[in-house]
Amino acid sequence: MQQQEIYKFLHNYFDSNGCEFVELADGYMTVQLTEELDKELMNRPFYWHYLEKTGGIPNPMKLTLITDQSNVPENIKGENIHFGSPRLHQIFESTKRLAGYIRLYENKEGAMGSQIPLLPWLCVNMKISYQCDRKRDVYKSIGLQLINGRMVTDFHDLLLKIELTPKIPDYAFTLSPLIMPKSGMARIESLLRTLIAEEDHSWANDARIRWKKDLDLLKHFYEGDEKNESYEIEQRALKDQFEPKIHISIINGGLFYLTDKAV
Amino acid sequence: MTVEIIFNSSWQEELLNRLTNDGPWGSWDLYKLAVEVEKHTLVPEFEGLRAPVHIPQLTPLPHQLEVAKQVVENMHGKAILADEVGLGKTIEAGLILKEYMIRGLVKKALILVPASLVLQWEMELNTKFFIPAVAQKKSYMWEQYDVVVSSIDTAKRNPHRDIIFKQNYDIVIIDEAHKLKNNKTKNYEFVQSLKKKFCLLLTATPIQNRLEEIFNLVSLLKPGHLGSESSFFEKYKKDSRSIQDNEHLKELINKVMIRNRRSDTGIEWKKRHVETIPIHFTKEEQDLYDSILTLKEEQGITQSQFSTMTLQREACSSREAVYYTLKNMLQRQENPSPAYEATIASLIKRIEAVPRNSKAEKALELIKKIGDKVIIFTEYRATQLYLQWFLQQHGITSVPFRGGFKRGKKDWMRELFQKKVQVLIATEAGGEGINLQFCSHIINFDLPWNPMRLEQRIGRIHRLGQEKDVMIYNFAIKNTVEEHILKLLYEKINLFEKVIGDLDDILTRLEFGSIEDHLIDIFGHSASEGEMKIKMENFTSMIQFAEQMKEGNHHAATGNL
Repeated sequence: MQQQEIYKFLHNYFDSNGCEFVELADGYMTVQLTEELDKELMNRPFYWHYLEKTGGIPNPMKLTLITDQSNVPENIKGENIHFGSPRLHQIFESTKRLAGYIRLYENKEGAMGSQIPLLPWLCVNMKISYQCDRKRDVYKSIGLQLINGRMVTDFHDLLLKIELTPKIPDYAFTLSPLIMPKSGMARIESLLRTLIAEEDHSWANDARIRWKKDLDLLKHFYEGDEKNESYEIEQRALKDQFEPKIHISIINGGLFYLTDKAV
Repeated sequence: MTVEIIFNSSWQEELLNRLTNDGPWGSWDLYKLAVEVEKHTLVPEFEGLRAPVHIPQLTPLPHQLEVAKQVVENMHGKAILADEVGLGKTIEAGLILKEYMIRGLVKKALILVPASLVLQWEMELNTKFFIPAVAQKKSYMWEQYDVVVSSIDTAKRNPHRDIIFKQNYDIVIIDEAHKLKNNKTKNYEFVQSLKKKFCLLLTATPIQNRLEEIFNLVSLLKPGHLGSESSFFEKYKKDSRSIQDNEHLKELINKVMIRNRRSDTGIEWKKRHVETIPIHFTKEEQDLYDSILTLKEEQGITQSQFSTMTLQREACSSREAVYYTLKNMLQRQENPSPAYEATIASLIKRIEAVPRNSKAEKALELIKKIGDKVIIFTEYRATQLYLQWFLQQHGITSVPFRGGFKRGKKDWMRELFQKKVQVLIATEAGGEGINLQFCSHIINFDLPWNPMRLEQRIGRIHRLGQEKDVMIYNFAIKNTVEEHILKLLYEKINLFEKVIGDLDDILTRLEFGSIEDHLIDIFGHSASEGEMKIKMENFTSMIQFAEQMKEGNHHAATGNL
């Protein structure tokens, strides 16, 4: 992430959360936090607790974030933000937490008298992590149509091209899903399992070879002393270190009601 | 073979929950941002380092990045980091830890360091790496925090010990790990019984010396890598004279250990200038020194040769140091004979007759001339106290520094030295583990006979971050044991300007034993100065031979080309 991208991201984040910008300049921004974001980011539960108890007037903080130090007047004090800074990662986490679940409708109004049907889709964006003593991640987005069971990959990218709205448009109506979201999730999971099974797993085999090698050394080391408590601990440590595993975790997702021409 | 797939189902439960309750639903803009964020933070490749991108304000040196890459990619996160003093092992460990944290392979980390370094580690991890490390202060902290820095001495004791064993640490990092060379100690046993998924052992002392120590350290990291205890010693102790086997052993060790030398790094180091300052005793000081020499002939006065040698060396430092030892010698005797008491008393008389300290006066003169920050190292606490008083009498501000100081006091003293006072007076144990690179002058008021210690002393200031050339002044009194030590250490072996590891390697290869062992034998066990001189001559020619061998190898190698 370049500094300009970070700037854009921060702007979007505060904007989407309804914050006012006190100052918006090249290289830095000062934001008036809302009450919600103050609670989310500033880590001062005692203040908010106190305020609730006493019924005082909330005074959320202002936050100045600097993305380009060379471009900031001297009197401006703020936090330097770069890709590794804890504040940015806190905001990353907050973004994911605040936008884990969604429901949207395609913004297409039907003509008078002819109503437009919208089809339900379940979309999940996820991270697949291949883990042994090393790790790599893959991003995947899958959409499942909850009437005919059709599945589409890179679904999120398709959604980006469609105009979406949180309220159902006039003269449009939604079709009820035939596949329940719960079994929809099961279908997505089983598709993933099939796809992953077909992949090349030499990374996992290599890890198992490393594991076995170290395990053999360990056995030799504790030969005649197998009852030793350390032996058991070391074995568990090797398992944790090398055992290949694939974790699938969901970033976000939800229901999208789309026209049949949309996908 | 199939791989276990773990599908996180907690998201799904919450989705169903929100469907039933008709929300709440996130905003489309934030939702899109969240996907963007994830795409930016995920790590698409097994290989390579992501950490540098996260710490743009820190520019690791090429050898440090290489170490981190090696450890993560080829050593599977278990390694002994054995760079020479001052090459930035902390940075290497920080890089590795950061890399694992970014990749989500490490969440909980336990960092065990000498008590004097706890705060420094905490600070460096936080400011240089943005790793939220905390110094352990209360026992609840083990559970509350993910990255904890502590001393082994605290960690191994209950209640901490039991709590630590309940935590599931993903990585254990141990600084100054050469202290774990003895597998009979409590510290060793403690570290051994910790679960170590990933593990970094940091040490600056080359461990090629004693086979047993190597075996213990490697077995802590990776049990069985060098075989079982019995098979290892069967193989190497008996045949330890055959270089062939040692080559094989070296190869094995290099699989778990990385050692960079200053000369490997390609960095232009600030120079070390070493200056020997010969000092003449005053008449009274000479009398005191000589009267200690005569002790040797009087049977029963000294219990061991060691204390005579100690007294001699102390006499070269300060009369206070001698006095302190004499007092102890007298106290230790249950029923001192009248002759014994008389001898001690006569020595004390001579001490009282000494009106001034030639070395201290020289030091004062030098400090005034330097006009900048100076570290004085002495072996003796009595000398340390005396010097502090003496400098104060002459309007020079100073702070003491000792290994026995509590953590906070050490940090405070360092801070005072950096900001307020001109001189820091350190005793041996205090030399280890603090970084004083803002100072570029060292006075070795007296000399240790262990060159590794000398290297540690110099390493406090001759390290990365030092901006000036480093000046080292060695004080030696003419015609004393001190001069002999210096002759050996400096003039003959040229020790100060070269890094000791090189020489130690050669000696080990030739099966001559380590320098340290030789020096202890020469200075600690010689019965007379004559014996010491002969042993020293032998040792010097051995080293010269070793150096020739090294050069010979070079020639042979080029000849083959």
